[in-house]
Amino acid sequence: MNGRYPYLKSVGRWSFALVPLLGLVEIGAHFIEIHRRVPEADWVAARLFVTSRSTPEDLVAFAPTWADPLGRMYFGPAVATVAREGRPDEARFPRAYEVSLRGAHLPALADWTREDVSRFGGVTVTTLRNPAPVSILEDLVSLVGAGSPRIRVSRVDGNRESECSYGHGSVQSGGLGYGPAIPGNRFSCPGGGFVGVSVVADLDYVARQCIFAPPSGGGVLRLRFSEVAFGDMLRGHHTLYVEAERGKTGAPVSLAFKTDSTPLGTVFHRDGDGWKPFGFDTGQLKGQRADLIVDISSSGDRRTYCFEAITEGKASAP
Amino acid sequence: MPTWRLPDRIGWRDHIIGAALGIAYVVWLLNTAPSLGFPRDEGVYFRAGESYVRWWRLWLSTPVEALKPSAIDGAWSVNSEHPPLMKTLFGVSWWFLHEQLHVFKDATTAFRFPGMASAALAIWTTYIFGARAYSRSAGLVGACLLGLMPRIFFHAHLACFDVPITGMWILCVYIHWRAQRERSIVLAIATGVVFGLCLATKHNAWMLPAACIPHAFFVQRKEIWAGLRSGCLSVPASVVAMVILGPLVLYALWPHLWNDPLGRASAYMQFHLNHEYYNIEFLGKNYFSPPSPKSYLPVMVLATVPTISLALAAVGMGDRARVGAIRLAGWLRTRVHFTQGDGVGVDPAETDLLLALSFAVAVGPFFLPKTPIFGGTKHWLPAYPVLAMFAGHGFTLVRQRMHDVLGPWIERSAGRMGRWGADAVLALSVLVGPLAVTAHSHPFGLSCYVPLVGGTAGGASLGLNRQFWGFTTQSAAAEYLNARAPRGATVFIHDTTWDSWARMQQEGRVRADLRAVGSPSEADFSLVQHELHMNEVDYSAWVAVGTDAPAYVVQQDGVPIVSIYARR
Repeated sequence: MNGRYPYLKSVGRWSFALVPLLGLVEIGAHFIEIHRRVPEADWVAARLFVTSRSTPEDLVAFAPTWADPLGRMYFGPAVATVAREGRPDEARFPRAYEVSLRGAHLPALADWTREDVSRFGGVTVTTLRNPAPVSILEDLVSLVGAGSPRIRVSRVDGNRESECSYGHGSVQSGGLGYGPAIPGNRFSCPGGGFVGVSVVADLDYVARQCIFAPPSGGGVLRLRFSEVAFGDMLRGHHTLYVEAERGKTGAPVSLAFKTDSTPLGTVFHRDGDGWKPFGFDTGQLKGQRADLIVDISSSGDRRTYCFEAITEGKASAP
Repeated sequence: MPTWRLPDRIGWRDHIIGAALGIAYVVWLLNTAPSLGFPRDEGVYFRAGESYVRWWRLWLSTPVEALKPSAIDGAWSVNSEHPPLMKTLFGVSWWFLHEQLHVFKDATTAFRFPGMASAALAIWTTYIFGARAYSRSAGLVGACLLGLMPRIFFHAHLACFDVPITGMWILCVYIHWRAQRERSIVLAIATGVVFGLCLATKHNAWMLPAACIPHAFFVQRKEIWAGLRSGCLSVPASVVAMVILGPLVLYALWPHLWNDPLGRASAYMQFHLNHEYYNIEFLGKNYFSPPSPKSYLPVMVLATVPTISLALAAVGMGDRARVGAIRLAGWLRTRVHFTQGDGVGVDPAETDLLLALSFAVAVGPFFLPKTPIFGGTKHWLPAYPVLAMFAGHGFTLVRQRMHDVLGPWIERSAGRMGRWGADAVLALSVLVGPLAVTAHSHPFGLSCYVPLVGGTAGGASLGLNRQFWGFTTQSAAAEYLNARAPRGATVFIHDTTWDSWARMQQEGRVRADLRAVGSPSEADFSLVQHELHMNEVDYSAWVAVGTDAPAYVVQQDGVPIVSIYARR
């Protein structure tokens, strides 16, 4: 073959040169790589751009995910809020500012409409429009987090219902395996149990800000939200802290929604479900206000359970 | 003009070269060790080393007291799940080189010194083995490429067992090879003794016979077959030595076994056979139980060993596989045609087979679904000297080809100096990259990924583990806490152990007035060492500290390594 194609023989003779060439390419790639660190000035410029344009309803998110701590540090807690960082999903944000490094993008925003791309050195800010944003009427997490007078919490054991008092204590937290931090502002129940807003690592180790309401001792944790505005749907997600559910050995947790007159539905979280969405049609209550009662129960131990829910109006046009 | 030329025969001068390479590596390690914090396990091994050496001193002063079961158990029950050799050496080094002779100012450098010396042993042995098996340039480049693997460099700093077993493993394979080649009873006995030292270093040494024993039987197959035909069973001497002397050496060096040999040996085995699965991230997923992903080892090797080293290893392995295939084909022809073989490629010591077995045995378990993968690459480091030797052989082949093609032209234009210059340029082209990557990796060696996958950022984007064991607390102190924390501030030290924190304070690596606490709620400053499964601690800190914005982020190439939260 080399006789017919002498250049092949010539190429073969020089194949040794691939080795030093590869060595040089590796050296070059290394030096390019280590000089790609994004300077603080780029982050600051991107932050100024985002803060000048964004509204509290907008999402500000960082890509790739490993850049998230940098985004939180440079953008600060007023922009990189816990609510944005621990968002249940992206659907409830009408617009997103995706702050990214190295051309990374968040898969969850892949279908959104790109409105603008601005570059600040190594930081790229992409403005995206949600094609189908959800209109939120009530957000149960914010009601609990604010310690709103519109929420009452009780523990139900058989026929006895005991009030859980709201108080301001110290946060309880620990290292790996401790579980989610128990918030300082919480409802504490007689006989055990509490309810408050925390941030939980879900089965994929993603941050989820939610109502931390672990059922205990076979009792029912009852949350009563008064005068809730209803729309077309009641939607939400629920989860267990990752180490509580990843072994798939725990008892399911039941989450039941009702009004004083109407059961809306019950969902179960089983180990391995992760951050699981649920939804109930509330069309019959649309336009009305009513008390929403949420019952949480489980027969198991260490059910570090957390949920979030909203009532939503009609999805607005894109 | 005087010329300096090594004799063709590999001899004592080569040991000087190997030793010099090893010593240079130790000097480098000693220079960089002060900026590397203490991983979780190290703190425990420091304590065990102190305990063991205290017992040996008691044994030297009052042997009767030392040999009482209570004295043995009191000293040797510390970290009894791992064999004793390196911890004993850590303690001996600490006692003599720090406490008595003050060679090392820091106790921890003295503790770490035996580990560094074992890296030198690995490099030395790789050189001499490569030089004897293939060529001097193969040994030289192979030894250099071994030391210039970022993960080897990281683990070589530590008072742990992973680099020591790498050095012991290749030494045992080398002596076994010499014993087979020279049919020397002394070397066979030495194989058994060194195998015992391997067993006393780390538990994966128990796999080593799977490489040496089949090799010995294959090398001596004709004698064994002849013996069987005459009714006598002949077993290679080094195999006998490994089977008898190996466990004896382990037993002699490990007083923990003395009070209940079978019970404690069984407990030791059970501990490792049923080891719990720690968390480790791989391609964005957290693994914490079997089955382990079969792609873990190949992907991690590709992502952490410099690509030029792997390419050269592929060239070297390919060549040896070609030679083996030719030999196999020749043997098959003799079977079919009943002819005498031509002896092409015959190696009485079956070097390629031994190296292939050594490599396969070191990496094989990581393709089994039940083998935990939490140690990242450190558990298969014993495969790397062989990889480096093949890389060295690959370099030799490339060099030969270069001279075949360019030699006449170089000779004409620049003479002998030109040949040397070409060799030097070629060597630099394969060594500078690994050197640059390895030097840059410090002190975040576990975050280091090679340019092939995009460096540290590429590794993070692929979802590969960035660290474990909490050793980066020292970097957090050096970059932020020591300068910015108020006097007496409390610090949540996350994955760092109390032992390690205390050591860092004793040696002034972390300010002595800072107080470690066990939860973010108690802390003025909370550290979060970024690993996927540690995200839960990160989120916990947000709630406890009252902000999700770190006050400072320790970075390597712009990739977060440690977040530091300050209480608002």
